[in-house]
Amino acid sequence: MAIKRGVSLYSYQQSQFFKKLDWKAQIREVREGLGTDGIEIINEQLIRHYPFPTEEFLYDWRSYMARYNMQAVTMDVYLDVHQFRDHVMTHREAAEHLKNDIRLAAKMGFQNIRTLVLVPIDVIEAVLPTAEKYNVKIGKEIHAPWPIKPGNFVQPKKGMAAGINFRAVDEIVELRERTGSRYVGLVPDFGIFQHSPSDVAIAYVKRHAKKPEAVDWILENAPAYGHDELIDAVDEKFPDHGIPINNIDRMALHKPCCAPEDLIDIIPYIVSIHGKFYNMTEIPGKPGCYEDKCIDYETPVRYLRQHGFDGYINSEFEGQRDQQDMGEEGLVDEVEQVRRHHEMLKRLLG
Amino acid sequence: MFDQFLIRKDSLENVTENGRVTGFKFAVRIADYRGCFLSLHNGYYLTVDGVEYPNELQKFQINGKEPRTYEELKTCCWEHWDYDDEGFVYVQKEGGLESGVHHIGIQQSILAQYGYMPWDEEWVLHPPVPGSGQGAGKTETVSFFDIALSEGGNE
Repeated sequence: MAIKRGVSLYSYQQSQFFKKLDWKAQIREVREGLGTDGIEIINEQLIRHYPFPTEEFLYDWRSYMARYNMQAVTMDVYLDVHQFRDHVMTHREAAEHLKNDIRLAAKMGFQNIRTLVLVPIDVIEAVLPTAEKYNVKIGKEIHAPWPIKPGNFVQPKKGMAAGINFRAVDEIVELRERTGSRYVGLVPDFGIFQHSPSDVAIAYVKRHAKKPEAVDWILENAPAYGHDELIDAVDEKFPDHGIPINNIDRMALHKPCCAPEDLIDIIPYIVSIHGKFYNMTEIPGKPGCYEDKCIDYETPVRYLRQHGFDGYINSEFEGQRDQQDMGEEGLVDEVEQVRRHHEMLKRLLG
Repeated sequence: MFDQFLIRKDSLENVTENGRVTGFKFAVRIADYRGCFLSLHNGYYLTVDGVEYPNELQKFQINGKEPRTYEELKTCCWEHWDYDDEGFVYVQKEGGLESGVHHIGIQQSILAQYGYMPWDEEWVLHPPVPGSGQGAGKTETVSFFDIALSEGGNE
């Protein structure tokens, strides 16, 4: 029983985009640069000719993972409901999509798939037999701003948050208890412990807002407003502010959507964890030690250790997109960021 | 995402058909962290030197096939635009672009989603018009480029 370190190759998306690191170089970095073995992938980032990879690709993948003695932990899969364009994908079609991803994950040696939080629970139930047959667990992501424990959660009606099903975690736990299946669980994302906007996000949104003072106003006043009310207030006070709703949401973040102790009850259901982060900076007075100033890692990791979580925390670096608007010189070094994240994980995991 | 890198800066060329210049083209990448089914690709909001070129005047070339309209791409439900790959946007314009630097405004429209959303049925009936704000995938705004026409490289 131990908590293990891994990396979602999502973290190297920019290096892949610019052809600096292909998937093989990414795997070597995890083995040689970080000294660990856990690999998570984004199916549509890594697999050429998805969803119909060649036999050569599949064998090459398994062989390369074997050569470096790696573990294929989790494959992240998607649900694009407009794939057919002449109708919205039905739930049965969505289930077929997920089954195909499960078969693909099995062929690549993955232990788990991560489904998105918006995948309906009946779709997940419909694919459970396939998950069991192929010995691949389904983990539904718990992604901010979705709560583990909804409490008095108010359903937003605007922006991406309108799609929130705040009972998502309960539904998974109920399905698991009702069916007794070990093949359905959860993938918490450390973004649920983010308590303030990242400095790189604030700088990005200010660079692009027509009225940057609106950003300062949101940072100061968001705690006094509900989700939808804040959007109306910004529109009213700063007409033509030019800030998309998703960025208002990012700037308005002022408390984590989950308390660290919320993790304790769901530990038995966790298949793997996303170690989300935006910007690892040196801790003042502690040379060589790093932190992400906007996400609490220390407390949740302590609970995970105390309550016996046995599985992988896979680094998921997401700070690059806020630093891609300043030319090539302004691009962040993903490899260095993930190395710093693993310095932190090693230190916290003991 | 990748907004400043959406267009490859040395890729702008005029297109010649049967000895006549019929338009221009440039290379693009998918501005996301993953590829997509081609059917989800819904075109570009595109201006060159202040002139807007709607989707009806564009074609998209990918996967070694002939340039296709977005109406044709809609039916490519099983063909994928892989994350690593470059596509070409072809634009009809009699005579093509003049020599020199051109000011290009562009926003990519990919109907990628993370599951069911309240506007799904509406998007089937009335797909978002690129540049209207909806369906922009991960390109939040129109990005602008000043790009010189590459000359002498056409077939």
